[in-house]
Amino acid sequence: MSASKNERGEFWRWLRAKGSRLFRRSKAEAALDAEMQFHLDQLAAQFRAEGMPEREARLAAQREFGAEAAAYREQIRDSWRPPELADLWRSLRFAVRSLARSPGFALLAIITLAFGIGGNTTMFSAFRTISLKPLPYPESENLARIYRATPQNPEGNMAPADFFDLRRNANGFGEVAAYTPSDTSLSEPGQNAEMVSGLRVTSNLLATLGVQPQLGRDFRREEDLPGNDRVVIISQRCWQKRFGGRENIVGRTIRVDGEPHEIVGVLPASFNDWRHLGWVDFFRPLGFNKEKIADRRSTILRVIGRRAKTISPNEAAGFIANFGARLAKDFPAEDAGSTWRVKSLNATVTGSRAIMSMLIGLSGFVLLIACSNLANLSLARTMARAREFAVRAALGASRMQLLRPLIVESLLLSVAGGACAILVAMWGADWLAVRSTGDNGEQVILAFDWSVFGWAFGVSVVTAVAFGLAPAIFALRLKVNETLKSGGRSLTSGRGHQRFRHFLIVGQFALAMVLLAGAALFIRGLDELNHRRAGWESEHLVTGTIVLPAARYSDAEKINSFHRLVVQRLEAMPGVASASISSFTPFFNWNDIRKFVIEGRVRPPSGHEPAAVVNSVTPDYFATVGTRVLAGRGFKTNDDMAAPKVFVVSQATAEGLFGNENPIGQRLAQVGGDKLRWGEIVGVVANVKSVLPDPGPVAFQIYQPMAQEPQAYSEISVRSANVDPAGMIASIRTTMTALDPDLPVRDLQTADATIERANYQTAVLRDMLSGFALLGLGLASIGIYGVIARAMAQRANEFAIRFALGACVKDITRIVLASGVKLALIGSALGLLGAIGVARLLAATNPGMQLNAPPVLLGTTLLLIAVALLASWLPAHRAARLNPIEALRAE
Amino acid sequence: MEKVRNELLQGTLDLLILKALSAASLHGWDIAKRIAVVSNDRLSLKQGSLYPALHRLEGRGWIEAEWGVSEAGRAAKFYRITRRGRKELEVEREHWLSFAEAMNSVLNNLEELS
Repeated sequence: MSASKNERGEFWRWLRAKGSRLFRRSKAEAALDAEMQFHLDQLAAQFRAEGMPEREARLAAQREFGAEAAAYREQIRDSWRPPELADLWRSLRFAVRSLARSPGFALLAIITLAFGIGGNTTMFSAFRTISLKPLPYPESENLARIYRATPQNPEGNMAPADFFDLRRNANGFGEVAAYTPSDTSLSEPGQNAEMVSGLRVTSNLLATLGVQPQLGRDFRREEDLPGNDRVVIISQRCWQKRFGGRENIVGRTIRVDGEPHEIVGVLPASFNDWRHLGWVDFFRPLGFNKEKIADRRSTILRVIGRRAKTISPNEAAGFIANFGARLAKDFPAEDAGSTWRVKSLNATVTGSRAIMSMLIGLSGFVLLIACSNLANLSLARTMARAREFAVRAALGASRMQLLRPLIVESLLLSVAGGACAILVAMWGADWLAVRSTGDNGEQVILAFDWSVFGWAFGVSVVTAVAFGLAPAIFALRLKVNETLKSGGRSLTSGRGHQRFRHFLIVGQFALAMVLLAGAALFIRGLDELNHRRAGWESEHLVTGTIVLPAARYSDAEKINSFHRLVVQRLEAMPGVASASISSFTPFFNWNDIRKFVIEGRVRPPSGHEPAAVVNSVTPDYFATVGTRVLAGRGFKTNDDMAAPKVFVVSQATAEGLFGNENPIGQRLAQVGGDKLRWGEIVGVVANVKSVLPDPGPVAFQIYQPMAQEPQAYSEISVRSANVDPAGMIASIRTTMTALDPDLPVRDLQTADATIERANYQTAVLRDMLSGFALLGLGLASIGIYGVIARAMAQRANEFAIRFALGACVKDITRIVLASGVKLALIGSALGLLGAIGVARLLAATNPGMQLNAPPVLLGTTLLLIAVALLASWLPAHRAARLNPIEALRAE
Repeated sequence: MEKVRNELLQGTLDLLILKALSAASLHGWDIAKRIAVVSNDRLSLKQGSLYPALHRLEGRGWIEAEWGVSEAGRAAKFYRITRRGRKELEVEREHWLSFAEAMNSVLNNLEELS
């Protein structure tokens, strides 16, 4: 003990020596020394002259001069500074010394602040980057998305014919443009074809957004038409990464979807609107032919409008609503039941605001736990110094003089805590950047600017003052008189502040419960999603996406014959059990929503027919993905264009549409088009369930033969026969390349890997929640440990008396443990309510997740109690070791 | 003579210094000595406490300082009273005299009464 004290003394001396060398003593300081030394020398000389020996003369001189030479020096230094500064300087030195005397408190306070505020600051900068940062478009407040809302989808897309009607008559709104995602293949001679993310856009999209290409030109009006559409505008990122930023890029010809295209422009770096459009690298004109332009059924276009400045937002919204209503009346077959609405582009930012707000809220919880820790620490510290304050008050220190050191200490802590918090936040931002890395290497980089620093320091100052200073003042008001009366020592501390500290602990545990339970539910929910294999089997399954370019696969027969070839070649590969092509995989959402009527039933009013999602599949699909056929049959090779239309329905669809009737042999027809084309239900298969947190709104699943309605966008599935599926990926790619060298296969990997990757963002969210939960739990356990330890120290006398009266170790331990666990239990119970609220919120934003798990809540409660037990056990252990004689003698 | 060392009343040190400097510019040691000699050593003064006072007066602009050479040939800091210092000295002096007079008259009258 004494050795360590010595060491500490050494350390401070070393630090001070270092410090004074660091801040070179000023000239004035040296002059002052010289001046005083001169006086001392004169005095000594005088004493020597009186006959004193040298040594005594020196001592006498020092006596005469005054022993407090250092104090004089300090007074003089003060007189050099303006008085307020001198006071502040003194207070600062005092605060530093006083904090250095209890380094444990200072360290805990700073760590608490650093993590509490650091987490909060990370979330603040994420919120700013994702939600608050203005869109990179001029006058973005005039930009809006225009949706065609249906009962299934409030933010639905538009059919081309509807959009072109709007575009011709948009003078009541402004300018409208449309785009549709269209990933394209890029093939360079001698390399595997590659899929790049792209959009097909109307020629006026960039102009509507207000973006000018940095190099080259924008699209021309005539390039909307097929034949003129072999032009590409590329993103800045694509230009830099794929083409090395070469200046002569404009005019270069590249192979897109197997056809030569000319690069006509490069977008500026500022056009980086990943929040709406995703990371898009290729922009191409829509290139719709007459037939496509007249299509009023395929809702594939996303519409963005720029409201004219002369038109108010309300007028514009009214115009759009009217326009939609007129279309619904004019084309009831296609548009009945749909309404049109406008939503400001700023309000549509990707990344749900609800999730963002929840994360901010939860990081706020962590901060609150940190704050109550700080309050507790500060309270305990003030109580420990109560005698010091009482004496100073009795000596006539004014209220302000008493409080000044406390204020300065709080500010000092807040500045140190804030600085550490920024380090924590930067680390958090790095983590987020790494975790958010997209497939194309793009990351979400959080911007650290002045507003973020301002936020961190603002929060830390408010925190330190509100939660560090206020409790101290509160305690002082209670204590000054009492303390003097009781001699600074009381058997048990005042009830008022004890209750206050218990309240803080209960609050901490309640908040920690919310955080922990929320995170635990989410972890379990996501785990369930990632392992959900409802209605199909993932072992030995590899999937990948192909998009057949319309230019080369222009009609149904070309697509069908390519599909047949693909399945044939894949199934011929050694180790392959079966292969299929389908418009969707069994594990993701099927976005092809269609409406059906049933033969022999009264037809519901237009727009209210039953809706189902439709998957077009090749004959071996059910065998390949492992979906069981429950009744009837699957599809056969001869269910083709020439044969009668057939359907297979899922079990839920069969029950929903036909109840107890036998669905086999019933006939369905898809709504829309000039004439209903009836098809017979030939089989019933098991339901499949999406693994995404946000499944589609439609529950009915209907399958139709791919050959009867060939799809250009499709998924290939290959099931291997007891061979490691991952090892087959390269040979599948080789087979596909041999069939069409210009056709890339995107995301060719095992189904398990695809699912994992798809829920990646959700996993980031899970990790954030877990991080907050761990922080909260850690801070709360520090808090309860501190309070219990403190309470035990204050009750040392009581325990000593109890021991003296014959209590044994077990009794004391029980008292201490019980007081900790009681607080934890009350807190957890309160937190349970909040946890249920968070679970509700998570469930609302992730409807596909199962988030109601009582065992998880029970487990969380038990974990919290265990932590409380451990945190109380340590001080209890110490209390039980108490030597009653010593404790009482100290009294 | 017996050394009667009177503790200085608060605020009087400034006056003593100003008075000592009103005749000549002196360094700290000389000021201490002069006060001791003139008061017949009856005023007790921790000599070190001169310096905070000197620096305070300097800060207020009542005296100014300059490095010079002492009689012994060592570098020493000499203080000189400024014009503002002289004014202040007058004010303080009046103040002190009227205070002392008041004190005297109270003490004398009380003697008469008793």
